[in-house]
Amino acid sequence: MTTPQLWTNRYRPKKREDFVGNEQAVEELEKWIKSWRKKPPKKRAAFLYGPPGIGKTSVAQVLAREHDYRLVEINASDTRNKGSIEETLGKAVKQNVTLFGQKRMVLLDEMDGLSGQQDRGGVSAVSKIIDQTTSPMILIANTIEENMQDRFRAILKKVKSIEFKPVSSAQIVSKLEFISEDQGIPVHPDVLMEIAMKSNGDLRSATNDLETIASGKKTVSPDDLTVIGRRDRLESTHNILNKIFTSRDFREARRTINQSMIKYDDLYEWIYENIPIVLDDPYERLEALEALSRADIYQKRARTNDYRLLKYFFDLMTGGIAFARKNSKGEGYRDQLNAAIMGAGFTPSLISTINVPEGIMVKPNRWLGKDKWAKLNTSLRGLGARWVYGKNVWMLPYYREPQAKWRFIRTYHARRRMKSVTRRLAAKTHTSSAKARNEILPLLRHMIRRNEGIYDDLSTWMLDAPKKKLDHLRYMTFAKKPRDFVSLENYSKYKQREMKKRIDNIAKETETDLRNIERWLADEKKNASWSK
Amino acid sequence: MSSGMWTEKYRPQALDDIVNQRDIISRLKTFVTEKNIPHLLLVGPAGVGKTTSILALAQDLYGPSYRNFVLELNASDERGINVIRDKVKNYARTAAMASSVSFKIIIMDEADHLTGDAQHALRRTMEVYTKTARFCLIGNYSENIIDPIQSRCSVFRYGSLDEADIRDRLTLISEKENLQIVDEGLDALFQASGGDLRKAINMLQAASANGELVDDISVYSLLGSIRPDRVQTMIQLALDGKFLESREALRGILINQGMAPEDIIRITYREIMRHKSLTEQKKVRLSDIIGEVDYRLTQGARPEIQLSTLLGHLSLVGDETR
Repeated sequence: MTTPQLWTNRYRPKKREDFVGNEQAVEELEKWIKSWRKKPPKKRAAFLYGPPGIGKTSVAQVLAREHDYRLVEINASDTRNKGSIEETLGKAVKQNVTLFGQKRMVLLDEMDGLSGQQDRGGVSAVSKIIDQTTSPMILIANTIEENMQDRFRAILKKVKSIEFKPVSSAQIVSKLEFISEDQGIPVHPDVLMEIAMKSNGDLRSATNDLETIASGKKTVSPDDLTVIGRRDRLESTHNILNKIFTSRDFREARRTINQSMIKYDDLYEWIYENIPIVLDDPYERLEALEALSRADIYQKRARTNDYRLLKYFFDLMTGGIAFARKNSKGEGYRDQLNAAIMGAGFTPSLISTINVPEGIMVKPNRWLGKDKWAKLNTSLRGLGARWVYGKNVWMLPYYREPQAKWRFIRTYHARRRMKSVTRRLAAKTHTSSAKARNEILPLLRHMIRRNEGIYDDLSTWMLDAPKKKLDHLRYMTFAKKPRDFVSLENYSKYKQREMKKRIDNIAKETETDLRNIERWLADEKKNASWSK
Repeated sequence: MSSGMWTEKYRPQALDDIVNQRDIISRLKTFVTEKNIPHLLLVGPAGVGKTTSILALAQDLYGPSYRNFVLELNASDERGINVIRDKVKNYARTAAMASSVSFKIIIMDEADHLTGDAQHALRRTMEVYTKTARFCLIGNYSENIIDPIQSRCSVFRYGSLDEADIRDRLTLISEKENLQIVDEGLDALFQASGGDLRKAINMLQAASANGELVDDISVYSLLGSIRPDRVQTMIQLALDGKFLESREALRGILINQGMAPEDIIRITYREIMRHKSLTEQKKVRLSDIIGEVDYRLTQGARPEIQLSTLLGHLSLVGDETR
């Protein structure tokens, strides 16, 4: 019987392979740790910074253990003033070996807790200790690049700064998948995606959310998402969209930018998603799209030139939409809904549709039969509707969630696989990837699905990577120049290391390609007419 | 030993094996005997032997290890200025070692897809590294290649292949592969390929995959079983006023398929211009609209929005037509 443990602790990385994302940062840190082997390097502290929940502390802990250091962890937010920092930290760094002869490494976590009025001198105390230390020090701060200069100026020159970036949604989804499998709780993929998107790259908060939703349950369906505040966000967004799409008042529409609970970039995506659904008249639809199109250009200009241009972006994405609607009744959804009902072979008398505040309620007037229900369910789900258990109705919200991002995440693995396949095919047939994919791949697929002999032959052919001499790599430009090194010998060593890295990267890429191509071939085999 | 795709298996390996484009081939052969070539620009329609002839030239020039002296780049995959700065320059400035020829060859396929900036960067590179590298640019249209580059190259214009050339080649392959093919099959392959030999050979291989006789019916059923071009589908949906469906198709192309927005707009333009049921007047109007959207793609941050706007225009034009 194990004691219950928070999932964030339980699934904290235990070894190097468990890390998700930030490969480069991990490598950099490891290199710095290795540089301590003979004597203390020039930079005696590593400064890990980045948003919360992406594994900075875990990485430090795991690497310390793997390199045989005893990690002394000090939480900066507990020892807040100069005196106490000098006391606790000073002691830790002066003795670089523990009583049992193990090397020490000092971890100073939550450095961002240091700044502020009552911590006067906190950062400068740390700075002094860096000068004296004989043990490797790792400093961690939850901060982003822009805020760093002011707060940590005193130490930035003395430390090796390593940036940690938010983890990609796709990587979060696959970690969450792993957790749900490990817990034996099947979780609907939409739920995993919603959690991943909401987390903004914070793996810890995503894991927490998953625990909140899933723990103690047998299965998790999209309805369970209400627990994590998705509902409030959706309701408020629906109200905002209502204002933008139905308002005849520019100021009212424009104000929504400040009222929105979601970021304006996300609001923009919501508007874009729903234009063709609300505006069924082709003229009005085009006018609204034109407004968004020009808004997009203003935003890009604002980013590259001057942020004061951003107001035109806001004007066009709110007012531009509000005034596009003239005759449309805003019932694009209802038309689609009717089409879906008719398309599934039902007469409107069998199904009633009722407008309620949250959207359109679709109610079967009598038992439809399992097959017919399933058919209708598929087409309604395609529109964004959900079957509400207990009430036995479908709910179709008036506004559809932006689909592009989801599609992007959902197709992550398929896209990477496809990229490897087309890259190989393009290299083998001396064409571009685009041509390989559009022109050659459909024919290739046609043959291998029809003939086992051809499948065997072509899979050997695809898996055989063309070998090339890589000697031109040696002449590539290097980031550092000879003047950055004390001796030419060191410079040439540096160049050799870089070379090796490049060759390794190419080997790694080839290996990934190989794996992806193998998976693709296996999939094709499953779909082949001869294997059935 | 696997034989792979027939386009590769039967790709002529030496200049002597190439039967058509006789004038060009004889010029290329003199380059081999002199062991020197100028910068080359090969233009012409798809599947007429441009890449084949330059690869054959490289094999004649360097022998079987020619791959070590040739850098093949595809400009439509790597079209930005960075490719020129990094890959090309670094490859270009090293001499060809262990070869009787002092230079290497850099093949830039689909060079007409290079951005203007990249072409300007290339122009300088071509001059500076003439000692160690020769460039061979390949493209469909010479208009898209800036004049300074054209003036540095010997330009070879490839004509389209005769029907007889294509039929001969297909017959030869069929004999070697022990296929049964009838005249109607050859006709259908030629028609469907539009004079593109690569396409014709690929289709021959696919049509014969079930091991049965290749005739017109098997060719057309092959064409029918392969999904129609996705961009065409998207355009037609928009013109039919099915905006939502066409937007989904656009997402399929942009996201699932990963096609570059510039390529989508290029193909859209091509398809609109050869669309059968649009009037000339509408085509002129659409050219203006596509041009504007193409420009906005370079100015904006969200390609999908810009392309969707184009779909909005298309569905309006379609609406007027109906």
